[in-house]
Amino acid sequence: MRRTFEDLEVGQALPVASRTVTAADVKAYAEAGGDHNPLHLDDAFARGVGFPGIIAHGMFTMGHLSAAVSAWAGDAEAVTMISAQFRAPVFMGDVIEAGGSVKALDPDARTATLELWVRVERDAATEWPIRKGEAHVRLT
Amino acid sequence: MNPAAEGTVYPDVSFFVDPERVASFRRVFGSPQGVPPTYVAVAEFTVLPQVFDDPFLGLDFPRVVHGSQDYIHERPLREGETVTVRVRLESIRSKGANGFLTIVTELIDADGAIVCTAHSQLIERGPAA
Repeated sequence: MRRTFEDLEVGQALPVASRTVTAADVKAYAEAGGDHNPLHLDDAFARGVGFPGIIAHGMFTMGHLSAAVSAWAGDAEAVTMISAQFRAPVFMGDVIEAGGSVKALDPDARTATLELWVRVERDAATEWPIRKGEAHVRLT
Repeated sequence: MNPAAEGTVYPDVSFFVDPERVASFRRVFGSPQGVPPTYVAVAEFTVLPQVFDDPFLGLDFPRVVHGSQDYIHERPLREGETVTVRVRLESIRSKGANGFLTIVTELIDADGAIVCTAHSQLIERGPAA
């Protein structure tokens, strides 16, 4: 369902969107996205540059976050800006959780500013594949 | 990386927003109908190989990781349209052993209007300490 501007208030949390990342997902993204960097496809290459194995594309993680925002807004075209800082690698088998909250509202433009993140729990510690993410969402 | 490459503009590339490819991109993420905001990455990757292979820039690709990314949409991309992709190297900096490259990509429609501007920051990691 399409969310309206009146549904929003500052501080409101987005539902957390989780997915387990697999090599098949990352391969599907490489094909759809056109980024065939072997860091995301070839374990031997990834180990050669200091990772334990292949890592997901930053744009895979950002795509998951963006899809979560679009699903929350109920409209893929509501997002007018999205930004992310990539702070930690995502390994195969990781459960990535995308979330955020409403940071500011502009009633004249009917636009919300969201602060966003993607986290993963690994070895009893929390890592942040995306920190300081932000989106502008224009609602009807 | 060669800091003198700052300001380089690469030849424009035409990019067709292929509905089948948009659908396969949406399937990866279970995205709603429409062109996902980060689909612009597909357009960026029509030109980025030229950047990675530019001998004047001299990027050491195996050491590159993605630092940050943004997409500013003036309007959504439309399935079936063709846009022009224009890429320039906005800044090249170094901090400690790492190099930081900011690439700006503009998608321009048939009327000459900017549809989306993307900033991509790539980090060329220094040798392990």
